[in-house]
Amino acid sequence: MGRTLATITQLLNETEVNLSAFRRTLRRSDQYIFDGLFAAARRHIAAIGQAESLLPFESALLAMLLEQSKEISILEQKVEELIKKNSG
Amino acid sequence: MAEAIGWLLDVYAEEDGITLWLLTENKERLHLRMKFEVAFYAAGEFPLLRQAWKYLREKNVGLERTIRRDLFLGERDVMAITTSDPAHVQNLFRNLQGQFPSLDYYDTDIPITLRFVAQTNTHLLGRCHVTLDEEWVESIEPLSSPWEIDTAPMPLRTLTLTPDCNPAFRKPKRLHVKYGQREYSLSLEPPRPFMIGLKADLQRIDPDLILTDYGDTWLFPQLGAWSEETGIELNPNRDENRQVMTRKADSYFAYGQVTYRGAQAHLFGRWHIDRKNAMSFSEYGLEGAMEQARVTGVGVQEMARKSPGAGITAMQMMTALRNDIMVPVQKQQVESRKTLAELIRADHGGLIYQPIIGVHGNVAQIDFSSMYPAIMVKHNISPETVDLEDAPEGLIPKTLRPLLEKRLMLKKILSDLDPRDCRVEILKARASALKWLLVVCFGYLGYKNARFGKIESHEAVTAMSRELMLQAKEVAEDMGFTVLHMYVDCLFVQQEGFHRPSDFTSLMNAIEEKTGIPIALEGVFKWVAFLASKRDARVPVPNQYFGAFQDGTLKYRGIELRRRDTTLWVRKTQLKALEILAHANSPREFADHIPDIVRLVEGAKRDLRTGRVPLDQLIIRQRLSRSIEAYRTPSPAARAALQLQAQGRHFAPGQSLEFLFARNASGVHAWEMEETLDPGRLDTKRYYRLLDRAIETVLVALSGYQTSAEISGGFLGKQEESIP
Repeated sequence: MGRTLATITQLLNETEVNLSAFRRTLRRSDQYIFDGLFAAARRHIAAIGQAESLLPFESALLAMLLEQSKEISILEQKVEELIKKNSG
Repeated sequence: MAEAIGWLLDVYAEEDGITLWLLTENKERLHLRMKFEVAFYAAGEFPLLRQAWKYLREKNVGLERTIRRDLFLGERDVMAITTSDPAHVQNLFRNLQGQFPSLDYYDTDIPITLRFVAQTNTHLLGRCHVTLDEEWVESIEPLSSPWEIDTAPMPLRTLTLTPDCNPAFRKPKRLHVKYGQREYSLSLEPPRPFMIGLKADLQRIDPDLILTDYGDTWLFPQLGAWSEETGIELNPNRDENRQVMTRKADSYFAYGQVTYRGAQAHLFGRWHIDRKNAMSFSEYGLEGAMEQARVTGVGVQEMARKSPGAGITAMQMMTALRNDIMVPVQKQQVESRKTLAELIRADHGGLIYQPIIGVHGNVAQIDFSSMYPAIMVKHNISPETVDLEDAPEGLIPKTLRPLLEKRLMLKKILSDLDPRDCRVEILKARASALKWLLVVCFGYLGYKNARFGKIESHEAVTAMSRELMLQAKEVAEDMGFTVLHMYVDCLFVQQEGFHRPSDFTSLMNAIEEKTGIPIALEGVFKWVAFLASKRDARVPVPNQYFGAFQDGTLKYRGIELRRRDTTLWVRKTQLKALEILAHANSPREFADHIPDIVRLVEGAKRDLRTGRVPLDQLIIRQRLSRSIEAYRTPSPAARAALQLQAQGRHFAPGQSLEFLFARNASGVHAWEMEETLDPGRLDTKRYYRLLDRAIETVLVALSGYQTSAEISGGFLGKQEESIP
């Protein structure tokens, strides 16, 4: 109510619409991954908002990277555990 | 000289002062008069003020040049205009403003009750002591304060009048009358004996409060018509010199929706409240409306029909009056100029964290108590103190402080009382009425029409709230907690091995110490499920969850059960499903209960199919958001309205429609149609879909998502099977 600027949720929705031609051109299997990137950004809406950036999509990209790094470190951990299990 | 002690029942303006109604200790209802002068002010360029002076000299008013304070501009040279005719002060002002539109005017539209309360230090419904010269009040002294908790209840005589059906849909045949333990009904046909009967009842009972259903929109207008028809005069006022005061119906837009408010019938010397036309009656009832009247200075009849916003505005006016600050007629404060970067920094709401999707065990919910008002009071946030260091206490904190303290005190008393105690309901209603005043106060800081609003002060509150939430999060994480969700003023936290309420006390103490705002434990969930978007299971949705506290109580937000447009049948079934799940002590036990839920749903559908669900449990309720003609593709509500329109009924935007989904041309059947729907024509498939969706919300949350053991994973999602 009464807000002047679009919210981060609205900005992400808009960006997604603007990229719809990009998404459409992707293979179906890649489209699912692409949607996952936006889902990753949406987990950090509060942080993107708090960044108070003129270009919030930069922060959204950072949120995507963050989730990706998190995924990688979890996978690394799992790999290590598997290696330990197999060698032990 | 006579004297009396009693409760202040009613105050209103007259041509030669004011009328007071006092309900005395020995149960008399005294009709008293009092001399009362009111003043308002004009400021502006001197030549103009001099002309205004000349204009007013002829008008039998007191005129004086004086200095008064404007909240924002500081001290101003003003012309004070004083009259001993409070009933016509509005006319006087309007004539003056018509002649001199460019002057600034102050204190012109302050309700007489506020002026009276501010000047005498009494309060509406409060106890006072008066000395009298015949019916004229010589002096009046307060014997109670609106901020006391245990006000001696006013011994009100209440007469309840309700028709046997909703007059908007059918013509009522009888009027039910209730007074104390007595209950009976009067036939409305023919009107003559009815009018004689009701008139006799009114005279015999002499009620202080007439509580009605549809009194505003049907009974009082109808009494007028019958009175003309039968020639029997029936004046429902206690003050015989007064007629019923009526206000027209209107539709207005607030809180994101169009609302319809029916015409109103106000009485003098006694109150009339129409339960069906009272804005927040479902929230806090008569007790709440009376509590608001006590603290705001707005009459009970007004307060019951108005939004809490009107109440908080009145309280601000009262603070201004008591502190010799003038109340401007129009808001003067506009938003200051900002750069884009400043705007981006300022224009935020409260902090909303995306929850971690899934079911979590042993989660504590902790809430800041009245966070926004507490911030305003603690950090002295008020439109005139923004950007000032060490400013004296501002108008808003001054208004809120006693309100906040009284609510906290009520809540403390409530937490110490046995839930079965007979005082609990009343105290709860009063706490809730105060809560609503506090809630809207924040909004009014930034509202474009608020007298004492400035958007920067509104923004300062949300900025401070975000900062405090981040501080709370940091404190929690420092102490080893995982913060699962944060929503404006509450946090959901979890830590391995923490499950008793006392386990979270040290965290709450630490947060309270860091932020300076009181925080309370809402409860510890045995388990709670945070939901994902229905569009993409990887996207969490804030403030959509359900869970069971340790004592088995359920709490749910944002699911079908909470939505007013969900049918009772679906809500009941979804609630039963949750009640089944509430038996589970941890997420691991859910699987044991799924078969019960499946049986529940099958049973509900069988009941529907075999006609065992009463039709009124299948009613869908939707609001008209515009006039019927304005719909390009009519919504189900609009289609139901069209059916009723064909029977001669009319609808305004904001009115809600009730209907059933039916297998006929328009797909709906308006509930208030004269012919009832043949149960065989019910669109059962449509209802199945509604139920399936609601049950899916529950089941998907339990099975589809990862549990908190895997919270950090799942960036690419767990739905590999959908990748071709």
